[in-house]
Amino acid sequence: MLSAVASDEETGKNRNRVVIVGLVWLVATILGEIAAVAITWEPFGNSREARISDEAFDLLVYMSVPVMVFVLVMMAYVVIVDRDRGENVDGAPVRTNSMFIGGWMVISTALALVAIVTPGFSGLDELAAEPDADLIIDVKGERWNWTYTYPDSGVETQGTLMIPVDTRILFRITSTDVIHSFWIPAFRIKQDAVPGLVTETMVTAEEVGQFSEFDELRVQCAELCGVGHARMWTGVEVVSEAEFEAWIGASQ
Amino acid sequence: MAVVGGVVGGAIGYVLGAAGIMAIRAAVGARAWEVESVTAGAWLVAVSGWLLGVGAWKYWVSPWFGRPERTYATHGWRRYFDFDTDHKVIGIQYLVTFLVMFFMAGLFAMFMRWELMRTGEDVVNADQYNAIMSLHGTMMVFVAVAATVGAFGNYVVPIMIGADDMAFPKLNALSYWLVPPVLVALTVSFAFGGYDTGWTGYAPLSVQSDVGGLFYNLAFFTLGLSSIIGGLNIIVTVVTMRAKGMTWGRLPIFVWSIFITAMMSLIFTQFVALAMLMVILDRTAGMVFFDPASGGEPLLYQHIFWFYSHPAVYIMILPAFGITLEMISHFSRKPLFAYKWAVGALLGIMGLSSVVWAHHMFTSGMAESLRKPFLASTELISIPTGVIFLSALGTLWLGKIKFTVPMLFALGVLFNFLIGGITGVFLADVPVDIQLQDTYFVVAHFHYVILGGGIFGLFGGIYYWFPKMTGKMMNSGLGKLHFWAIMLGFNVTFLPMFVIGLQGMNRRIADYTPDLEPGNKMVSMGAFFLGSSFLIFIYNFIYSWARGETAPANPWGARTLEWQIPSPPPHENFEVPPIILADPYGYGEADSLHADMGIGTLEEAKDSERV
Ligand SMILES: [Cu+2]
Ligand SMILES: [Cu+2]
Repeated sequence: MLSAVASDEETGKNRNRVVIVGLVWLVATILGEIAAVAITWEPFGNSREARISDEAFDLLVYMSVPVMVFVLVMMAYVVIVDRDRGENVDGAPVRTNSMFIGGWMVISTALALVAIVTPGFSGLDELAAEPDADLIIDVKGERWNWTYTYPDSGVETQGTLMIPVDTRILFRITSTDVIHSFWIPAFRIKQDAVPGLVTETMVTAEEVGQFSEFDELRVQCAELCGVGHARMWTGVEVVSEAEFEAWIGASQ
Repeated sequence: MAVVGGVVGGAIGYVLGAAGIMAIRAAVGARAWEVESVTAGAWLVAVSGWLLGVGAWKYWVSPWFGRPERTYATHGWRRYFDFDTDHKVIGIQYLVTFLVMFFMAGLFAMFMRWELMRTGEDVVNADQYNAIMSLHGTMMVFVAVAATVGAFGNYVVPIMIGADDMAFPKLNALSYWLVPPVLVALTVSFAFGGYDTGWTGYAPLSVQSDVGGLFYNLAFFTLGLSSIIGGLNIIVTVVTMRAKGMTWGRLPIFVWSIFITAMMSLIFTQFVALAMLMVILDRTAGMVFFDPASGGEPLLYQHIFWFYSHPAVYIMILPAFGITLEMISHFSRKPLFAYKWAVGALLGIMGLSSVVWAHHMFTSGMAESLRKPFLASTELISIPTGVIFLSALGTLWLGKIKFTVPMLFALGVLFNFLIGGITGVFLADVPVDIQLQDTYFVVAHFHYVILGGGIFGLFGGIYYWFPKMTGKMMNSGLGKLHFWAIMLGFNVTFLPMFVIGLQGMNRRIADYTPDLEPGNKMVSMGAFFLGSSFLIFIYNFIYSWARGETAPANPWGARTLEWQIPSPPPHENFEVPPIILADPYGYGEADSLHADMGIGTLEEAKDSERV
């Protein structure tokens, strides 16, 4: 009889603990999500690909907030409440709890699958959705310079990479010595330049702009290639189609 | 002392090896002296000479010729400089050697952050920066891979399973004595001007790098040999040396974590050794595995390298998970929650770790059709990793937590790995990874995993087992000060790294665009604070070892076997082989006893044994 009373009391206490943790988690998650929406996580972006990548990043942030908050709230709660206050006794000999384990497994598996399907797979599908190029640019990495060739017109430059706005561009990338990586932070595209291989990546820039306005509008080598690696970059300039044609004409 | 014999043997080996290679080169009509091929060949003979001189001759070769096996019978501190086969001596040798390597590599990090405090190359030039950065990465990876397994896998695991030593004590000593040549190779490499390839040593850059790069290949190859031998030994030990009644379901979780780590070492390390060997052959023997102009394939290197080096991340982190769960149970005074799930999770991580390597290569130029499968397999690892958190949180819940120094580190591992793990989910997502690959976001992520998880676990383990290993207590006030300093310094250093990575700072550069300067200043200040916090540890470690309070047998009141014997344990560990009655986590359970220590009640214990 006595033990039944005690165990009722225990159950009630445990329920209170769960309710407190749940409420704190809910409030903290809401605050966390508000902050997650308010913060701009990514730097200046200027391409169709940047929108896809940034959307994926944001979605992952929104998904991580409740998970992270849950673990932190649990940790904070036990650190405050379940500390040994000099009683020197053992804790409750709980070895398992099918509700907690089952719920954890279902939710963590569901979250992992959601993260795979969207933004993962659907993001990749979107990236691959427009495979037809309007303009081809050949990119060659060589320690420690980038060379851009426009095969339609034969123009070749080692200076600023000129790109017409709103044009589907295919980069064909290779290297003559070691591995480099062709990265334009504002476009969210990165593709290694591998000797003996031609790799490809596509982008559509959406606004005119240039390196002097945005540090992210640059081609940066992102794969360690030796002593000049840090300096292996050029500016990028996105111009209107007319300006681009004029530039090609002047460079021929 | 054996070390002297080893140095002599190594020197003789180097000369003989060099002479041999030069003779062969002369015989085939090549110029006799060519630094790389002569050094590569001589290295193998020199390492053999070192091993023979340091003890292999006495322990193996001499008995083959019918002579009696001679062993070192030194005592006191001299034992640590000898080919000693006691697993407890070897554990301490591993610990001290890798702590030395850790502090060397930490010092290199300080130079990197000094250079990166401002734009421009004002402290070191780009060439020196690359050498320092590469050596920092290589040494830290070696420490993370081998320190915890070497130190505590050797010292604690045999005691935890009730054994008197490892299954192959001589082999155990051999695997340790392969480590000093690794340190020598890296130091020599630095004397030659280092190498500029980072710890990953991608071909073809590594094939073309200066002679210092050859020593990187030789060092990694040699460490790999040590890991394989050590892993094999741990597996056989856990399989065959468990005390009576120590069933698989009663193994302490730390033993499970080391056992699974050892399996990964044995299976995967061969691949990195192969990658290193192929680069060495490209460099010295005129082979062209990675030279596209002659039909080679640069991406091949990355596939072989990451086939080891992704599992290596789990070789670094699983022992820390084991330490963390072990300490959370003992210091919460509660049974380990969901024990079987945690063991299953460790096994699941091992299985999945072999099918995710190409997530390091999403932008490498490999076939695009491979992106989705590797994205999926990588995201799936978050499920077993989550189970480790499930077990930890379930154990803490309703516990009676004692905030000792090791327990603080265990909670630190949870906090840091939470951030490291979640940012890993971001990097597994290809549309995001295309942007973040090779940026400081990645640098921050893997430091949260390896330093915040793996190395925090190592230091938690040091604070936890120091009394057992030395018989002295570490000062807990200084320990707590160290914990809070390192926790603060660590997060102030690496949280802003995520931000500068997102802003567009790529990794492995000595100079950057001006917009990144404020973030880098903050990172550097945090790093200096983090670095100096280790001075507290070094003082505490040395002072306590020399003059610390005498440790009781069981200062933590923990239930695993190592705490049921004196501190430090006698040579044979147990007076009488213990008999295991239940798992070690029976906190709060009436009449629960982990083991009968065999003193007087052996017969009773046999009767009550529940196998
Ligand atoms: Cu580069
Ligand atoms: Cu990986």
